[in-house]
Amino acid sequence: MTLGPGRRIRPRLRRRELTLLLITAVALAIGSVSLAATRDLADGTPVVGDGLPFADATALVIYLGTLLAAHLLLVITGRRTDQVLLPTVGLLGGISLLLMERLPQDLAGGLGLGTTQLVWLTGSVAVIALVAAFVRGDAWLRLYKYTWAAFGVGLLLLTFLAGREINGQRLTLAIGPVSGQPSELLKVILVVFLAGYLSENRALLVEQSTRVGPIRLPPLPYLAPMVAMWAIALSIVVVQFDLGAALLFFAVFLLLLYVTTARASFVALGLAAFVGGGAVLYELVPRVQTRIDIWLDPFATASSTGYQVVQALHAFARGGILGTGLAAGLPEVGGLPPGGIPALHTDFPLAALGEELGLIGVLAILGLYLVVIERGLRIAASAADDFRAILAAGLSLVIGVQAFIIAAGNLKLIPLTGITLPFISYGGSSLLTNGLVVGLLIALSDRGVEPPPPPTARRGLRRVFDRGVP
Amino acid sequence: MDGVVLSIWVLRLAFLALLYLFLWTVVRTLLRDLRAAAREPGAELGRLVVLASPGGEPAVGAAFSLDAVTTLGRDVNNTIVVDDEFASGSHAVLTYRGRTWYVEDLGSTNGTYVNGNEIEGIAPVGFGDELQLGNVRVRLERARR
Repeated sequence: MTLGPGRRIRPRLRRRELTLLLITAVALAIGSVSLAATRDLADGTPVVGDGLPFADATALVIYLGTLLAAHLLLVITGRRTDQVLLPTVGLLGGISLLLMERLPQDLAGGLGLGTTQLVWLTGSVAVIALVAAFVRGDAWLRLYKYTWAAFGVGLLLLTFLAGREINGQRLTLAIGPVSGQPSELLKVILVVFLAGYLSENRALLVEQSTRVGPIRLPPLPYLAPMVAMWAIALSIVVVQFDLGAALLFFAVFLLLLYVTTARASFVALGLAAFVGGGAVLYELVPRVQTRIDIWLDPFATASSTGYQVVQALHAFARGGILGTGLAAGLPEVGGLPPGGIPALHTDFPLAALGEELGLIGVLAILGLYLVVIERGLRIAASAADDFRAILAAGLSLVIGVQAFIIAAGNLKLIPLTGITLPFISYGGSSLLTNGLVVGLLIALSDRGVEPPPPPTARRGLRRVFDRGVP
Repeated sequence: MDGVVLSIWVLRLAFLALLYLFLWTVVRTLLRDLRAAAREPGAELGRLVVLASPGGEPAVGAAFSLDAVTTLGRDVNNTIVVDDEFASGSHAVLTYRGRTWYVEDLGSTNGTYVNGNEIEGIAPVGFGDELQLGNVRVRLERARR
């Protein structure tokens, strides 16, 4: 993790990153002017006073300054790392900033929604830059996978027992003044553990299998952790009602299993187990039942349980192809009825963006997530060993799958589950952990880092005399 | 149309256009990376990096690009000649079979070790695993792509 002795730091320019950051800056500045002008027009204040109107120019300058500082830190430390991820994530964060500044500020207490989000966004960018610049090895992740797993399970149990209950979901853990959602950190721990476990057992998982009739199962001793994963995912649903996290964990687990073994049968088996478990939960847990019923027909309960989803669908419809323009969505957006979407800033930012930027804008945002996934998988493909390959694939898939789950939920493609849209939703835990994920990805893209040696047990050697080798 | 409304329209479209300019620039970068990767010889199935070699042959730090069958040993007819007095003439063979690498000990005097454990017959090797033949230690790495 630290700089080795005698390692010389030589700055290295990162032109691609700088170019992309410049486009990001111009785009965000124009977005900010567009937002302010639209708002002024609606308020009846003169649009062009002295100079251009910016929506909260200070926040924008602080945010872009942080991105530039992150870029400079990466230039100074001079590693040959990925240059696309930082600007891509920076643009997503900037869109989030524009959105949060324009929603009703009383959604977050204290500083107000926009300012609080700005604080977390700068924190997130700082995490990316520090991790990307200074994490040089992965031994601290690789060698302690069971320690990390135990830490994760402990965190989960602590949330089960001592978590604060908000809206009937026990997701928030508060220790002293610090509070956060452990499930966000858990997803990173899960990927680290799976990367360690799967890379260690890859050869055996691929080679052997137990046959039950026509189905190929993984070798029995290696089935146990998989069953444990399945049980953990379902227990998260039962105890915490956190459908989103359960879905995310299980999907990432199955994807990594497929990445490691290239066996579609394992994935099919896992999916069958998940659907089976889900069907049982549908009968037993009323909350799961409600969610699925809303998904099947939100308009049946449009004024009660289906309200949120119906309003989101209306928002997408109002947006059309080009959108209404930033700040020109419904004025009550995010507020309570009439016309607003409950929990817009955490669960439905895509609906607000769909209304204001339209189909074109939403497709661009989904494209940005695709870029993150592509970069992550490229980093995985060029990694030197299995652990790092699976880790990089897992980290990028965590972001991709999470974005898919909540975006598809907003669009009523799958049942809605309340998780955050990475880098756009409001919330500190989410932003900081996703910053950690992207920082690690950038650090892993440096192929020059040596993996740690595996343990060696040397025994006495006998000199060879039997063959006539000169 | 009112000038203000018109300029707001221009701003809105400019914002959307810039989002796509960003994506276009990124995609161009990604395509260039992909083409650069495609130009490199792609037949490599894995690499063998030499970690320790007291005899100097193979040299420490050398990286061998592996074919589907690679033999190791002291004999000059091996794919990779291991000039170590504790290695046998035909020491071990590395084979790639569909999904994974395997190492087989060819009845060497001092045995072949995977991550410090002596293998019996044939054993799977993962990327990142360390092999030891005599005093020579090598690590199997994924192919550069």
